[in-house]
Amino acid sequence: MSQKPVEVAQRELEAQPKQPVARELTRSGPVFRPDVDIVEMPEEYRVYADMPGSDGEHVQIRLEDGVLSIDGALALEPGAGWVPLHREYRLGGWHREFQLSDRIAADRISAEMRDGVLEIHLPKAEAHRPRRIEVQTG
Amino acid sequence: MAWVGFSSPSGATPGDLFERLRRELDTLVDQFAVQQPRATSGVEPPLALYESDDAYVLTAELPGLKKEDLELSVEGPRVTLRGERRIQLPADPKLSVHRRERRAGVFRRTVELPAPVDAEKVEALYRNGVLTLRLPKQAQHRPRRIEVQTH
Repeated sequence: MSQKPVEVAQRELEAQPKQPVARELTRSGPVFRPDVDIVEMPEEYRVYADMPGSDGEHVQIRLEDGVLSIDGALALEPGAGWVPLHREYRLGGWHREFQLSDRIAADRISAEMRDGVLEIHLPKAEAHRPRRIEVQTG
Repeated sequence: MAWVGFSSPSGATPGDLFERLRRELDTLVDQFAVQQPRATSGVEPPLALYESDDAYVLTAELPGLKKEDLELSVEGPRVTLRGERRIQLPADPKLSVHRRERRAGVFRRTVELPAPVDAEKVEALYRNGVLTLRLPKQAQHRPRRIEVQTH
């Protein structure tokens, strides 16, 4: 079985554990970069972000100057009497930003959080939806 | 090389002190080693283990999991998480994928706890994409408080 070097590199990149984000927030504490899937459909974009530990009340989504930013904070801290013995992941918030290429109907953005996965619907503004142009034949 | 000029008020020899230093360094190295991020296959959940007086607490980051796709088993000190993460994107024929970073697939992780736990009393909670298992220690492994008698 052979694998292209490009694919291997991509895999290594994806296997990286939580990536800290270099951005100053008012709240102190580490912030990580959530893994996302982004898809485009004729009517809308959809973003899915894995943000375990956050719930809907601790998530903020903003669209400003074409930049979509997602922030999530931990909903629950570990219990006070818990002494850590082993830790493979760090606790902290989530943050990521995307520059959107199309115009988005900002007033119709919706989002839901389910089991640590944030799903954002970004409907395209009317003028930017693909239109089918009929070619007239004479 | 001689240990000239090296003394300690407690009367410990340089050998003792170095032994203590070595042990402390080992502890320090261990502490840092476990906090090192672990390269996972992307679908294997990262875990954290905590201890309280009467229980171990094992947590796992498992976003977007269906309850029926997770199987837990406890046997003596051994805890196994097994499951499958499924990712379903919209079934739109005109869908184009811009990014695909999340990983779907089958995972299995086994953790050996420092002491056996009471398998009957294990509690599992799945919330906000984090699984939390509370694993009560068996009675004989709990710390006991010993009263000091005074006369």
